[in-house]
Amino acid sequence: MSENSPDKLAIREVRLGATRAEGGTREVSYVIGGDRGLPFCGNDAGRRLVALEICDDPAIWPPVVRNYVGDLVNNPEDWAQAAERRYGADLVRLNFTSTKKRGFNAFADIASTTERVLEATTRPLIIEGSNDPQVDSEVFRRCGEAGEGERLLLGTAEADRYRSVAAAALAYGHLVIAQSPIDVNLAKQLNILLRETGVPEDRIVIDPYTGALGYGFEYSYSVMERIRLAAIAGDDDLAMPMISAPTDTLSIREVREAAPEEQDAMAVAWEFYTAYSAFVAGASVVCVRHPLTVERLKKVLEA
Amino acid sequence: MAMKALDIYKHLPKTNCKKCGYPTCLAFAMKLATGKADVEACPDLDPGAKALLGGVTRPPVRAVTIGAGERSVTIGEEFVLFRHEKTFYHPPGIMVEVSDTWTEVEVRSVVDEVRETVVHRVGQDLVLNGVAVRNESGSADRFAETVRLAGGGSSLPLVLISDDPTAFEAALAIAGQYRPLIHAATADNWEPLAALAKQYGSPLVVRAGTPADLAAITAKCAEAGVADLLIDPAPGSLQGYITVATEIRRSAIERTEPALGYPIYLDAGALGETDAAVATGILKYAGIIVTPRFSRASREAALTLRQNIYTDPQHPIQVTPGVYPINNPERDAPVLLTVNFSLTYFTIVGYLEASRMPCHLLIVDTEGLSVLTSVAGGKLTETMVADALKKFGVADLVDHRILIIPGYAAPLSGKIEDATGWKVMVGPRDAADLPEYLEKEWKT
Ligand code: B12
Ligand code: SF4
Repeated sequence: MSENSPDKLAIREVRLGATRAEGGTREVSYVIGGDRGLPFCGNDAGRRLVALEICDDPAIWPPVVRNYVGDLVNNPEDWAQAAERRYGADLVRLNFTSTKKRGFNAFADIASTTERVLEATTRPLIIEGSNDPQVDSEVFRRCGEAGEGERLLLGTAEADRYRSVAAAALAYGHLVIAQSPIDVNLAKQLNILLRETGVPEDRIVIDPYTGALGYGFEYSYSVMERIRLAAIAGDDDLAMPMISAPTDTLSIREVREAAPEEQDAMAVAWEFYTAYSAFVAGASVVCVRHPLTVERLKKVLEA
Repeated sequence: MAMKALDIYKHLPKTNCKKCGYPTCLAFAMKLATGKADVEACPDLDPGAKALLGGVTRPPVRAVTIGAGERSVTIGEEFVLFRHEKTFYHPPGIMVEVSDTWTEVEVRSVVDEVRETVVHRVGQDLVLNGVAVRNESGSADRFAETVRLAGGGSSLPLVLISDDPTAFEAALAIAGQYRPLIHAATADNWEPLAALAKQYGSPLVVRAGTPADLAAITAKCAEAGVADLLIDPAPGSLQGYITVATEIRRSAIERTEPALGYPIYLDAGALGETDAAVATGILKYAGIIVTPRFSRASREAALTLRQNIYTDPQHPIQVTPGVYPINNPERDAPVLLTVNFSLTYFTIVGYLEASRMPCHLLIVDTEGLSVLTSVAGGKLTETMVADALKKFGVADLVDHRILIIPGYAAPLSGKIEDATGWKVMVGPRDAADLPEYLEKEWKT
């Protein structure tokens, strides 16, 4: 088995965000991917990023995070700014939880929140839009338009609902998160679908779906390893960088039912073990929700 | 490389005498080929064939046991580089360190914590495995005394860490009969340490900075009669560890360097970030992880990660299908449907027991898939539910004909009613909401 070929990149490079020179307003843009072999092995060049996830409607957000960040939860701009400046996140993932409410139609807010968060931050931005075919197309159009030229990482495309995301990405120059449920072949198929829709390969980031630690994480860990091995073996349809968002982690019983004085420690430990393991399996971007997890991950990555 | 069964068969006596415990020489060859049998089991092999086959059929990573008795830990005997290729078999032993410069109280508190930490998850008890005693005092007597304080190896497996042969002599005089792990033999001191390991039958760690140096020293120790070895690649960083551990495991699996076919030892404390180092050891090939004391939250996450990574990917942990009484149910108690994935079972039973609500739990065989996964994958069907109701005689246990199904199985509710003739009630999606739901909705 030869995993480390000197001349060919195993994983395609993908640029997140756009600086002024690149047509956006970010102070930095990041290149992820570009790896040549197995993660953390020798000549693995890929950059690893830690994203802090925030949302525009905290009603369904984990109580442990709401308690920790206090008033920030009511103000996405301040929250985003704190994510970068106070908590040290490489970038923010803005989750439009407001769209999950029944009968959602506040589309204008999607555009203005996107603008305000872009204004408040200096780094690339990940946006998690709706996941309801009824509103998808309008939601993705609005946030896509509001961030035109910024090379946002837009999510989430899935096999049965990828057109709206793809259309917004194509129209306004963004990237797409392609999510499939823990399966190499489904990941590959979705990438092919996206390609056929016209999304260039260097604008796709694979999300193999991450189960929470203790609740299916082992499958996600293995599927990430398999995707990376397939890419190393030359499968171009899987040679994209990966993003991991273990979003259920803070809702598991062990965290929810921890004693009040231990809640933060428990939340951070479970997020840290999951997120760090996702990096070891090959993820380039990992999204977490507790600010203290960001700090700990950054410290390890910089060591 | 590993040998195929037919190639192995060529070297066997072909008498089918069954003395090995298998019906034919070919059956024995097949077991050998998968590393599941030992050449020694055939008494009629000539020495040349035995040496040849022994080299290629033993597990590529040697099994090594540390400690004695109930809490001893066996590591190694691994066959793959990635868990999806088959499975990982022996989870790494996690050993918490103490120093011989500490007070008695400090040492005891760590030892008690190791002994008493138990995380119950999905029917398994997850534990820390032992104590590592570090000789930092410079005194052989203090070292021996701390080893004694740590239980001497009789209750928990021990790692003895020093570079002084006389300190080891003193410590082994106390703990020697319980197979403590000796750390570490280096290019300079391997001779006296190998002699001690041999004398006490203890496993021995070999430490060096490169795989080539490690191989050279393990080969010498093996020649000196120490078969149970571990290797410590003395990494300088997490990335360095992953790189070298991968190389070592690969050489072992591909049998390119038999002198590297031993479990790996990782000193997590030496790399600064304890949690990251422990996780790295779990994910990447460590057999023994020595760590400074870590918080309860970290311990739980670490032990859960270890359980996850060492679960056989082809066989999720399962419970036996059937109908289970919870909280002494009578004939008017509700019947709840669920799947045989053990995580699902233990989650739901946890909530039910806490609520003291009596009920009958009907578990159908979804091959260990969760509710949502089996519904999505078509592994939970109305015929299965009908068959299970019949097979387990549920109609004889209760006077009503009402079945409560999981919220995620809602799409099947009509079909289940048609197939079973039972009335179906759709329960909540989250098991945490089940007690409240039963409180409100259940009346016969
Ligand atoms: C790990 C996992 C897998 C593993 C299997 C693990 C296993 N042993 O089941 C693997 C990788 C094999 C897998 C495969 C698939 N998966 Co999958 N998987 C998961 C994951 C991440 C976790 C599942 C889990 O362990 N849940 C924990 C257990 C405890 O949950 P549970 O059994 O549902 O029990 C809860 C409730 O149902 C309730 N409950 C249980 N019993 C009862 C009883 C009553 C009476 C009541 C009221 C309540 C109740 O209580 C429990 C706790 O709240 C989920 C995502 C998720 N968040 O659930 C996706 C998920 C379930 N998978 C999904 C899919 C699509 C699939 C596949 C079809 C994809 C594919 N590859 O083809 C296959 C299907 C399998 C097959 N081919 O047969 C989707 C389902 C989408 C949907 N909504 O239908 C999910 C949600 C991921 C996603 N978002 O896309 N999966
Ligand atoms: S003991 Fe040896 S000779 Fe007898 S059946 Fe087994 S392999 Fe064949």
